[in-house]
Amino acid sequence: MRPLTEEESTAVFQKLANYIGKNVVHLVDRPDEQYCFRLHRDRVFYVSESAMRLATSVARPNLVSLGTCFGKFSKSGKFKLHITALDYIAQYAKYKVWVKPNGEMPFLYGNHVLKAHLGRITEDTPEHQGVVVYSMSDVPLGFGVTARSTIDTRKLDPTAILVFHQADVGEYLRDEETLF
Amino acid sequence: MDVSAIVSAQQSKYKSTVVEKDIPLEIDVGLLTVTDPNPPDEDAYKANLEEYLTSTARDGVQSLVAALFALPTKSSPDGPLALLPKPTTALPRSKPLPKPKPPTKWEKFAAAKGIQHKVRDRKVFDEEKQEWVNRWGKDGKNRELEEQWLTEVPANAPADFDPAKESRDKRKERVAKNDKQRDQNLARAQGTSLSEKKKEIERASAMARVSTASMGKFDKKLEGESKIRGQKRKFDSNEMSTKTENQRALSIIAKLDGSKKRRTDRDGAPAEESVVNVRKAIRHASKGKGGVALGHKVGGGKPSGARASFGKKGKR
Repeated sequence: MRPLTEEESTAVFQKLANYIGKNVVHLVDRPDEQYCFRLHRDRVFYVSESAMRLATSVARPNLVSLGTCFGKFSKSGKFKLHITALDYIAQYAKYKVWVKPNGEMPFLYGNHVLKAHLGRITEDTPEHQGVVVYSMSDVPLGFGVTARSTIDTRKLDPTAILVFHQADVGEYLRDEETLF
Repeated sequence: MDVSAIVSAQQSKYKSTVVEKDIPLEIDVGLLTVTDPNPPDEDAYKANLEEYLTSTARDGVQSLVAALFALPTKSSPDGPLALLPKPTTALPRSKPLPKPKPPTKWEKFAAAKGIQHKVRDRKVFDEEKQEWVNRWGKDGKNRELEEQWLTEVPANAPADFDPAKESRDKRKERVAKNDKQRDQNLARAQGTSLSEKKKEIERASAMARVSTASMGKFDKKLEGESKIRGQKRKFDSNEMSTKTENQRALSIIAKLDGSKKRRTDRDGAPAEESVVNVRKAIRHASKGKGGVALGHKVGGGKPSGARASFGKKGKR
């Protein structure tokens, strides 16, 4: 377990900013308690200071996880967000997509969001923008990247992909052994 | 009694010891060499070559022997020996002249300051032994301090003070210093420093070691081969104050905004920063016809044919 280097921090914040924009500041600068990012076995954990201090006494091979896993660094140094970060992303999300009930299951099985399944979308969402996917009852299901801007969606046919799937809560079951 | 007949008979039997030539022979007694600069007598040369050559050689040897007998001698068990003078003939060198050695740092300094070189005797006189001893080396005078049976110990010396070791260490230090200076002088003379060269070689060998199919993993290890050590990464301490860490994170985030290439509104300020969502406002004001159509409407002009596509866009 160690703090992130500057490049790693930049990669993490850039990825987070893709979904929550300037709200990244709220993750770092919290009113309740000091939180920090820690890297452990290529995974980035978002953890309160007190928990982090407790975890320092655990030997590296014995430490499985701490705080919330936000994602992991690939071998080539790219940062990949995990579904476990959804709680924080959904809280601060700038752009949201709601899927109809008939589109929930396909998305939860790892498919992209089609236009036919689109319930609502934040107005004026640009293209290739990170969005959080909600069910119609405002339950966050996962996140993805828009394929088209909001304006361009109108002329699309119903089978066109609107949001590229990136992570969904179904991964808690599907990738149980590798997720954390 | 007339002896002239006997003398003349004797003279005719032996040739004269005095060699007479048009140009006198050049004799270099030091090298036992005689050179005959006279041009050969063409008639005698052609008539009988052997005889001519023999006579010329005889003349040369005769004059050389005469010169040898004129030299001062030294007696020896094998008879008197002639003392040869230094050779006068200059012979060309077989090898080119050695290049002058580049001056050492001290030599440069001495030349600049006008310090004369003083040859120090290898031997020094030992007052106690009453004899000449080596300044260094075998039974050297420089080891006198560490070999004497009684040594004065300074008053403030620690309990485990070893005077012999102390002076030996000092001597070794001097030797090491001299070695180092010599190395530096050599390096200076060569142009590149030795340590630089060593580093270069080490880098090349390290590169060669990992340039195999298995990246050096399954290669035979050479004797005395050291392990290749890469650069160690340095990370911040885990126990760093979270405050400073967060400050750093915030500065990174602040920098992020500037470099981030987000899609911004065509009308200037980024969508995030302006209070009014400009794109949305334009769409609303122009009833979905776009900014250009709005501009034409305000200006009173009609949209040109080329801009008709904007109107089309708005109908969606």
